Amino acid sequence: MSDDKTTAGDNSPAVSRSDTPSYEVRLWPHRSLPRKGFRIVMTIAGIALALPVLPLMGTRVMWALLPFLVGAWGLLYLLIKRNYRDGRLEEHLRLWPDMICVERREPTGAMLRWQANPYWVDLTMHPNARPENYLTLRGAGRLIELGAFLVPEEREALFTQLNDALARVRATPEAAPWRPDV
Amino acid sequence: MADAALHAHEDHPRPGFFTRWFLSTNHKDIGILYLIVSALMGFISIAFTMYMRLELMEPGVQYMLMEDGITPNGHLWNVLITGHGILMMFFVVIPAMFGGFGNYFMPLMIGAPDMAFPRMNNLSFWMYVAGCTLATLSLVSPGGDGQLGSGVGWVLYAPLSTSEPGYSMDLAIFAIHVSGASSILGAINMITTFLNMRAPGMTLHKTPLFAWSIFITAFLILLSLPVLAGAITMLLTDRNFGTGFFDPAAGGDPVLYQHLLWFFGHPEVYMIIVPGFGIVSHVISTFSKKPIFGYLGMVYAMIAIGALGFVVWAHHMYTVGLSATQQQYFMLATMVIAVPTGIKIFSWIATMWGGSISFKTPMLFAMGFLFLFTVGGVTGVILAQAGVDRAYHDTYYVVAHFHYVMSLGAVFCIFSGMYYWIGKMSGRQYPETLGKIHFWMMFIGANITFFPQHFLGRQGMPRRYIDYPEAFSLWNEISSYGAFLSGASFLLFFYIMYVTVTKGAKLTEPAYWGPHADTLEWTLSNPPPEHTFEQLPTREMWDKPAH
Repeated sequence: MSDDKTTAGDNSPAVSRSDTPSYEVRLWPHRSLPRKGFRIVMTIAGIALALPVLPLMGTRVMWALLPFLVGAWGLLYLLIKRNYRDGRLEEHLRLWPDMICVERREPTGAMLRWQANPYWVDLTMHPNARPENYLTLRGAGRLIELGAFLVPEEREALFTQLNDALARVRATPEAAPWRPDV
Repeated sequence: MADAALHAHEDHPRPGFFTRWFLSTNHKDIGILYLIVSALMGFISIAFTMYMRLELMEPGVQYMLMEDGITPNGHLWNVLITGHGILMMFFVVIPAMFGGFGNYFMPLMIGAPDMAFPRMNNLSFWMYVAGCTLATLSLVSPGGDGQLGSGVGWVLYAPLSTSEPGYSMDLAIFAIHVSGASSILGAINMITTFLNMRAPGMTLHKTPLFAWSIFITAFLILLSLPVLAGAITMLLTDRNFGTGFFDPAAGGDPVLYQHLLWFFGHPEVYMIIVPGFGIVSHVISTFSKKPIFGYLGMVYAMIAIGALGFVVWAHHMYTVGLSATQQQYFMLATMVIAVPTGIKIFSWIATMWGGSISFKTPMLFAMGFLFLFTVGGVTGVILAQAGVDRAYHDTYYVVAHFHYVMSLGAVFCIFSGMYYWIGKMSGRQYPETLGKIHFWMMFIGANITFFPQHFLGRQGMPRRYIDYPEAFSLWNEISSYGAFLSGASFLLFFYIMYVTVTKGAKLTEPAYWGPHADTLEWTLSNPPPEHTFEQLPTREMWDKPAH
């Protein structure tokens, strides 16, 4: 949805902390075919494509048909898989009193990371933007988007939840307003 | 991290004419391109029929003569019936409904931003154009009888097709190969889009009927076209490399070709009509101002018709020497199809029942479809009887039957969809009076053309001949008048489309047919913006309570 203008230098290092975050959320784009549905579709297609060759088993006509039937099945398999891969986008947000970090996995598998001090982070919802209720986080000198692939209502709910969580961590003794937001 | 790109969507550069129409990856533009090219192919194919009905108007051969002006040119006749069949089956009806309306409206109805694979969609379209070109070239390339074109019939039965000289036949086979590959890619694209890109909350039991009909058609294409591809590849190698798959002298079997062809060919009939079922369901519901009766029954009836379509193919081949047991099976299996078809017909009637019906042009075409498709369906049940088919096989009764379901059934659906959605696609409304005139000309013309052909078939007139004895002249003459009337109505249709897109009244209301047109395309402007549903639609937009 967005123009990714990030360069490698912008990427923050990976975060590995053993303490549980005070708030955590994973976001991914909507896909309407569950894995079970995919298996059912491929099974039905496989059986139906096998039917015309069954009576021709062992004949040379079978060899003339087989490449087309296997090809059609294989193409369906590969392309649905490819479509899943195009939608394999995930944003993982974790929040601690002294750190907020967002990790985004692109469809290509590349990881994009951002972290900041939650005390100074600025969460904004833009109701009149396109897409509607566009959600941005400003911190550590960057403005990043959050859940741009969700429906507006989901972004609104996320906004409320994340705002509450931010307010909560800012009120704890562990909050570190004096630490620069880098 | 994905840096925020506020307002980035407002400044998409407008594509130029060439980029928009030749390199298009936009499902709406590709849909329109499919409609335009299929209309052009339809025009060629209908021009053939006008010439053929002119020739058949009187006994004897008056027009299709050799250069000496006396000898009948039977080859030309054969080329025309072959061309008419191949063009209509592969390059007109399916591309118009599946490629045209399917591409344009299926993603809109399920709230998807585009097809799953937009660039592959472009590839499908241009392969279809390449197929059209090859098919047209085949008509004017060296073929049998020392003339141009091949006259073996659209089914390309061996040994006719394997022994036809010249390369016209090879071009026709390539045309079907290319368009078949285009259809398979298109079908996988539709299947993936339908399965994986429906709006949140839109479960399979809530998806609009037209989207369902496109999905079922896509599945039929995916499962049956590879068999046709294999069969015509064998024809090609038989012709050029002497493989003898269908040559008894080389241990082959010509009847096997018929089995393979009809294993594809019968589902093909449903590929032609099932998208029409989808269109008609929406039209009848909209103009009866009632939700569709028995939605789930409609969905499962379409699935059942699609599935049964795969197990009845040999009812096209009762006379090839099938055993009595095989004939009994195919007879019974064929008649079972009347059950889901009946569910659909009665559900449409029940939708209209008690409704406040407005007889706008799309509704007239939909009701015309209901009547004509039922007539064609009933003669289908008659032809399904193996015993009766002994007499009717290859007569004009069969010609009348399949034109009632396809030429009248499917083509009425295309016109119904065209008038229903032209305002959405162009932003301008068609002139209602001209639309109604078109309907009545077409309805009367088509019935006058094809109803008398039942009588001709019962009298024993065989199909695929350039000439006939004096005894058949009355109904042939009447049939030809009907054909000219419907041919004229087709020209009127082109004129109406021209008037609509140039001078039609501008439509500002998104749901201009009223609140009962409640699928997602009616939430968009006329015409819809270039990019739609970049942000997924919410449930309230499509899941409306019954009015």
